[in-house]
Amino acid sequence: MIVEKPRSSTAHPNGQAWETIRDAFLGSWDARGALESRTALVDRIVTTTYETLLGPVSGQGVAVLAVGGFGRRELFPFSDVDLLLLVESQPSRELRPALSAYQQRLWDSGLRLSHSVRTVGECTELHDSNIELNISLLDQRFLIGSRPLYEKLLARLPKFVQGERQALRRHLCRLVRGRHAKHHDTIYHLEPNIKEAPGGLRDLHLLLWLDKLHTGEVEAPYGYLEMEPARRFLYPLRCWLHYRAGRDDNLLSFDAQEEIIERPLLPLERPEQWMREYFRHVRAVHSAAARALDTVESQGSSLLAGFRDWRSRLSNADFTVSRERIFFRASQQLENDPEVALRLFQFVARHNLRLAPDTHRRIGQYLPGLVEYFSRGRSPLWPALREMLGLPYASLALRAMHETGVLHAVFPEWRLIDCCVVRDFHHRYTVDEHSLLAVETLEQLKTVREGPRLRFAQLLAEIEDPAPLRFALLFHDIGKGTEEPSHVAGSLVAADRATERIRMPESNREMVRFLIDRHLDLSAAMSGRDLDDPATAAFLAERLGTLERLKHLALLTYADISAVNPTAMSPWRLEQLWRVYLVAYRELTRELETERIEVAPGSPEMEGFLKGLPTRYLRTHTPSEIEAHLELDRRRREIGIAVDIRKQDGVYQLTVLCKDRLFLFASLAGSLSSFGMNILKAEAFTNQQGTILDTFAFSDPARTLELNPTELDRLHQTIERVSLGRVAVKELLKNRPWPETPGKRSRIEPAVSFDNEASATATLVELVAQDRPGLLYDMASAFSEAGCNIEVVLVDTEAHRAIDVFYVTHGSGKLDPSQMDSLRERLRLACLP
Amino acid sequence: MKKIEAIIQPHKLEEVKEALKNIGIDGMTVTEVRGHGRQKGHKEVYRGQEYMVDLLPKVKLEMVVPAGRVDEVVRTLVSSARTGKIGDGKIFLFEVAEAIRIRNDDRGEAAL
Repeated sequence: MIVEKPRSSTAHPNGQAWETIRDAFLGSWDARGALESRTALVDRIVTTTYETLLGPVSGQGVAVLAVGGFGRRELFPFSDVDLLLLVESQPSRELRPALSAYQQRLWDSGLRLSHSVRTVGECTELHDSNIELNISLLDQRFLIGSRPLYEKLLARLPKFVQGERQALRRHLCRLVRGRHAKHHDTIYHLEPNIKEAPGGLRDLHLLLWLDKLHTGEVEAPYGYLEMEPARRFLYPLRCWLHYRAGRDDNLLSFDAQEEIIERPLLPLERPEQWMREYFRHVRAVHSAAARALDTVESQGSSLLAGFRDWRSRLSNADFTVSRERIFFRASQQLENDPEVALRLFQFVARHNLRLAPDTHRRIGQYLPGLVEYFSRGRSPLWPALREMLGLPYASLALRAMHETGVLHAVFPEWRLIDCCVVRDFHHRYTVDEHSLLAVETLEQLKTVREGPRLRFAQLLAEIEDPAPLRFALLFHDIGKGTEEPSHVAGSLVAADRATERIRMPESNREMVRFLIDRHLDLSAAMSGRDLDDPATAAFLAERLGTLERLKHLALLTYADISAVNPTAMSPWRLEQLWRVYLVAYRELTRELETERIEVAPGSPEMEGFLKGLPTRYLRTHTPSEIEAHLELDRRRREIGIAVDIRKQDGVYQLTVLCKDRLFLFASLAGSLSSFGMNILKAEAFTNQQGTILDTFAFSDPARTLELNPTELDRLHQTIERVSLGRVAVKELLKNRPWPETPGKRSRIEPAVSFDNEASATATLVELVAQDRPGLLYDMASAFSEAGCNIEVVLVDTEAHRAIDVFYVTHGSGKLDPSQMDSLRERLRLACLP
Repeated sequence: MKKIEAIIQPHKLEEVKEALKNIGIDGMTVTEVRGHGRQKGHKEVYRGQEYMVDLLPKVKLEMVVPAGRVDEVVRTLVSSARTGKIGDGKIFLFEVAEAIRIRNDDRGEAAL
């Protein structure tokens, strides 16, 4: 039962009056009426007690003022009663006992008193360490006592406020920032504190106080008056929460959400629906508060302003940067060119700048136009989105898109999770906030320099194109807003629709689909699989397929878990996730040679081509790629060699099919190096017919092929002639310029390791070395010169580090210890810069 | 009464919980912990670099049971947490002087 009780054991003389007010509120849900009635009742208690105890001894020396919420006549049930006892001078020995008795009687009356005793002088000086006192005086109200003393304060207070206006506003903003930080700067808590959290009642008060501190011509420029709908929603909610708990409890807990849906404030069927309405109101308050903070803080110190002016040099043809905020250059820009919206968020993602309030307003005004424009899907949006998602501050841009509504305009699927509450013991945030936070968490890895997170930071650095990964994070939980029994299925449907509309290329779509589909795999393995069991490794390798996918999924899992709540990614989970990653990594590198295709799907021709290739070949290539390789094999059968070079996603891909021979792989690597190409990845396989299928991904740092189209033909012909043994690679490499030797500090010492257990038939050799042009040729040559046959190769580069795995045989068997020793030295020399 | 503390492999948690539930043990405290036993950790090699893995993730279960049920609970723990490999974990038993339910001040086995 909800009853406001006096705090002392003494029977409370006003008990009936409190209950009448409470009953009236629970009947009408008229919060304003309840607060005013409560204020009037407390006014009466405070004044009558004064007349009895303090008035007779204080003379003209004391005035009693209501301040804070009490001063505003907004006394919530069980809230503190803020009183200021204004004194002429420091209380005398005679007055002190009377003041104590007065306060004690008020406590005994059941009031939770929060009082201070101050002189006029103390009220009109800035209290850096207790700025709340200064702020509370903005809502002061005379109750009883010395009117002349109160008028002294009234005479000095406006001048003080005027003089210290800037400082007061600055301190106020500092307090608000601190409070927001305690709540992780987000409104989207599943169990929010409706007073203290961003967008809560304290933010409403911020607007009120800033409006009061404003002296310009515009009335209430910070928008307190526009927040009336939110106020009408939040005030009765807080009243009810306090009555419900029987104390000053502002937490809208899951239990409270279950109950509130049946109350007249907003009767709805499910708490999740109700909470969406709650978040809509709170979002309006938070946006207004954020704009207000922005405005006040932009009027900062001259040093900061100087830095911000320097940043204004970033202005371009579309946007102006002023005081760290982005403005549109022209007023009709969005109407004339809606895609400027995407360029705007690219600008945010590139420069770490926020939108100006005016820019927010303009986007808001033209939002229906943007929704209409993006829904038509006339031009492919992926190139612009990909660029934005690949930039260093993509999460800031996505948040700005969310706040302005542009994210919904581009991806209507996101409406499904707008303020979406999913009741889960571990999750702290709504689904949309969780998704944005996951992107942010991933981005923050870039700043990690040490500790266990560094391993994941290094993985992130190895991802060539982070855009699909970030896109997958945006969509991985969208299914939680659908009726699908499995949210993963719902997320896949939404992602498919979106990627098709924005015309994402198939290779990226495939990665996005994979990441969403398997986004729970590694978490499940962390807690549900025996990581020492070889079956777990095989299971993971089967599910993941390639190292590239594993890296992406490990990072997605890291971000997903970290964004559940601030402590979800404990050191324990971090270690477990890394163990899962290592188990899968080892298996994926180990299985290169051991597992061969025995029975191949498709026609006899296809079977003949596939038989003997590693099983991973089927997993790492799409059916269309396999079909293209088969087509090349047909050409090989006709003329003895098939070479294909094409450019894809900014990187060249070379595929060569021909009969195997000694030094072939090294010769191909050498040919590319002789043209100045930089090999990024390579794979070399042989099928049962003895046909090699070598693929190289390489970049063209000097843009030779792009600027000289004939060079592409020459490279093609050179590869053919080298493959057929008609040209000696050593001759081609004679005039190759040697790269600069890296400095000692940045040099990576070569590391060579052998593993005779990994494969039944070959020795695994792993090499880690400083990357440089020609390195692969030198290493492959070292193998060939030692009489080793390269069975399988997997070459990878991470920044300046080359990580290469070779499966080699010597005379159809594994290497013996003396051969390993000899090869180790050859390889070490080959790896030197 | 005895307090039973069991350190087990993380992937065995669900199985152990289920087995304990089947013999009527529902209340327990579960903590994610890291540690090592006799092996004192081991070296891992990842991309040419060695690093020491000295603390492995484990799960710690704590429960207090009447003295008469200790053997049964321990047997259940052992059979459900065992894989037969190094790292399966350990079980420790402690005497408990008293148990008090905070809500209603129940004492002794009534508080379990």
